[in-house]
Amino acid sequence: MPQIILEHVNKRFDKFVAVDDLNLVIEDRGFVTLLGPSGCGKTTTLRMIAGLETPTSGRILIDGVPVYDSEKGINLPPNKRDIGFLFQNYALWPHMTVYQNIAFGLEMLKWDKKKIEARVDEMLKLLKIEQFVKRYPAELSGGQQQRVAIARTLAPSPRVLFMDEPLSNLDAKLRGEMRTELKRLHTDTNSTFVYVTHDQLEAMTLSTQVCLMETGVLQQYAPPLEIYNKPANIFVASFVGNPTMNFIPAKVKKIDRATVDLEMLGKTAQFVSSANIIRLGEDALVGVRPEFLPIREGGKLSASIYSTLPAGMETTVKASCGDTMLTSVVFGSVDYAVDAQVNMDVVGSSIVLFDKKTNRNVGVGTLTID
Amino acid sequence: MTSIQPDLRREPLRYRLKAFFSKPANLILLAFLIALTVLSLFPMITMLTNMFTVHAGTEKKMLRISVGSWTMNHFQMLFADREWSQANFWTPLLNSLIVASGSGLLGILIGGTVAWFITRSDLKCKKFISAVFVFPYMMPAWTLALFWTNMFQNSKVGGGVVGMMESLFGLCMPEWFVFGLFPMIMVIGLHYSPFAYLLIGGILKNMDATLEESATILKASRFTIIRRVTIPIVMPAILSTFLLIFSSGFASYTVPVFLGSATRTFTLSTKMRALIQAGYEGQGYIIAFVSILLGTLILGVNQYFTGKRKSFTTVTGKSGQVSLVKLRGANGVISAVLILLTLFFAIMPLVSFALESVIKQPGNYSFSNMTLDFWIGTEASAYETGMPDGILMNSTMWMGLFRQVGLALAVAMIVGTCGMLIGYACVRRRGSWLSQIVENLAFFPYLMPAMAFGTIYLAVATSASFKWMYGSFFLLGLVASVKFLPFASRSGVNSMMQIAPEIEEAATIFGVPWVARMRRILFPIQKSAIISGYLLPVINVMREVALFTLLVPYPRYLLTTMLFSFNETGYAQYGSAVTLLIILIIIAINTLVNKLTGASFDKGIGG
Repeated sequence: MPQIILEHVNKRFDKFVAVDDLNLVIEDRGFVTLLGPSGCGKTTTLRMIAGLETPTSGRILIDGVPVYDSEKGINLPPNKRDIGFLFQNYALWPHMTVYQNIAFGLEMLKWDKKKIEARVDEMLKLLKIEQFVKRYPAELSGGQQQRVAIARTLAPSPRVLFMDEPLSNLDAKLRGEMRTELKRLHTDTNSTFVYVTHDQLEAMTLSTQVCLMETGVLQQYAPPLEIYNKPANIFVASFVGNPTMNFIPAKVKKIDRATVDLEMLGKTAQFVSSANIIRLGEDALVGVRPEFLPIREGGKLSASIYSTLPAGMETTVKASCGDTMLTSVVFGSVDYAVDAQVNMDVVGSSIVLFDKKTNRNVGVGTLTID
Repeated sequence: MTSIQPDLRREPLRYRLKAFFSKPANLILLAFLIALTVLSLFPMITMLTNMFTVHAGTEKKMLRISVGSWTMNHFQMLFADREWSQANFWTPLLNSLIVASGSGLLGILIGGTVAWFITRSDLKCKKFISAVFVFPYMMPAWTLALFWTNMFQNSKVGGGVVGMMESLFGLCMPEWFVFGLFPMIMVIGLHYSPFAYLLIGGILKNMDATLEESATILKASRFTIIRRVTIPIVMPAILSTFLLIFSSGFASYTVPVFLGSATRTFTLSTKMRALIQAGYEGQGYIIAFVSILLGTLILGVNQYFTGKRKSFTTVTGKSGQVSLVKLRGANGVISAVLILLTLFFAIMPLVSFALESVIKQPGNYSFSNMTLDFWIGTEASAYETGMPDGILMNSTMWMGLFRQVGLALAVAMIVGTCGMLIGYACVRRRGSWLSQIVENLAFFPYLMPAMAFGTIYLAVATSASFKWMYGSFFLLGLVASVKFLPFASRSGVNSMMQIAPEIEEAATIFGVPWVARMRRILFPIQKSAIISGYLLPVINVMREVALFTLLVPYPRYLLTTMLFSFNETGYAQYGSAVTLLIILIIIAINTLVNKLTGASFDKGIGG
């Protein structure tokens, strides 16, 4: 069963380093998302695994077979890697009908006509595009083109499916629908999905593992909730989650195994981590997700409202506490007058402490403000 | 009650007219509608009537009826008389079709192959090959024809003049290789292959590489991908390139003249002129009409192919990441062959013209046989060269050059300005019937082969009421302006399309008058497009022969027509010297265009 292993993979374009010493194990039947801002090397990584791009050095194994090895000079072309690839712009052939587009890959496998017909039918049904079978791509809407592209990719039943931002050309509503269907397809097809996106919500909702990259360097490789709750560094913490996590500057007063005394927002506070704290300097940042910063009477922090953004189901409130702007998310619709005084609290056991110098996560735990 | 009603009806119209004329774009369109109707439809009608009337000279003598009376005789003679018909219509038509389709295929084969190598493989020296490969396209097509004869003529064919190949290597090519249809196809095909390269290469470059990559992943072989994906997608472009080369080859006059005269191989264009010069004007006009019909037909077919529902639309993707085909061992060989071939057709003609223009006895390339008399000779050397003086000493040549340059500048001013105005007005009033008519009228002259177009205006200039125009500089300017307007108006429309109307509207809101809006906002934005719009007609006029050859008062009136007379009278050295001069002027202008606009022919394809 296909497991994909990347060992010390590097990719340089002239002097620009696109991917820097990447090590990754993609488990069989996983749904792995390569996430990161544009230009972080995620598409390059995907294309290297698929064989569309040649790494500068390193080793890539698919299903135990080395498809690329810079030392042994192995470099299998994409067609020998038994993969499927879904392109961002669908890459449907404009001169072929929907049927011809889907059947092409099967023809290449020298299937007989009856079998091809049956398989194309199956694909058309699966993606609910039977009525478009005779149309040309130019005559389809974006969402329909997307479905045809998926059908074409899935038709030869590849064991690994690569997708390069497949939903980014769709409108918001369609994107939501397709997201659901992709997740469903993943279970139905029983294959490994590797998915590139810059949309953290997509990564969170779809994948079993998220590989977060920045400027060619792997930042964290973990299940989505772990990424969310235990971000490895400030970049990961700020990239994942919307609205963004609050980073409150704090002075470290005293460290005692798993407990740190802090001075923040003009108050003293005590952070208790789930494990012993090491590698923490004088300056720290306390990472608090907006949902762990409720507005409530009797809260320890007093702040004045800067703006309120009600979205129906929840409301995002921005309030300034001294010089620090804090973001809080409140369930339901609430509206506060501008400059109104409110009190806030820090709750929950998923408060993250970062070292300001190294940007690293040094502990996750609870915070008590005195 | 009744007195109010007419007012009600009249008022809106008056307001409507006022609103209509308050927009400068409408005024421009209306002006061009009138001017273009007169300039293209009127000559067309004149030509049509000339197909049915008797002209002075041969026709009058033969038919013995008064000049200007109606006759069907031209048709009868051209189509009913078997032998005459075969020699003067069907054979030339067949030749034209063979040359046109042959050169179309050749041009695409060469241009398409080079385009594929440049855009899709890891060929070495791409930039160099691309730049040199498009070079011959700048030169007039007849220079390549002249080069061909210079190279391959030999003592056994045609006039028996010894060419370079024979002189240097003792190689005597058979007649079919030197004169006739084969070299015509070769020369026109080679001349237009850069054109095919630019069009096909542009599409290959812009074509999303993922279209090919997705086929790779579905396990298609490289060959299958080219056959099933690449070629079908660029097919509409290839077809339309073929048709454009076809129509250019069909209309070509200069190349068949150079390569067909020796063996009396006529195409429709050369036949047209031969008939008119022999006094069979009516039949010449009929052939012109047939050429125009064919031109229109070809363009219609082209539109049909490019407008189909599965036609190619550019989807921009991550095509920057195209993986190039590795040529491996063949790389060195292929790039070497391409470099040699491109250099041969780009640089060798210049060398050959320079050489031919300094040798006294053709075919003898020894140093003792060389002289600069053909360039700077004076009366003293007239005995040896057969002409009073070298071309740089000759006042006729200088007058010809002066007129040609003057004509080029005048035409450029007119065409450049008109093209820009048409572009502006058509884009602003896009979708209205008026703008559609004007755009099509401005494009109409493109359908007509240059020779036929010259013929039409000849018909006008020889008609009684326009006698004063015949042989005048004004007529040449007018013809060239109308003939070169299609390119200018197309590029005007294209460049104006790039500017969002809001940019102009923002100024309108500030109350900036139209002239200032044009001068201060639109022109500066599209500066380089506008400059090249002005400079392209200069190049066109500098190398045009077919259009002027019937209309000049005497052959040595212009530099290009002078060249032809040199060639017809056997002064090959002068011909080569003038050709070299023209090429150098064109290169100079083109360099100027590049410097001013930063645009080059092959921009964005080579490497």
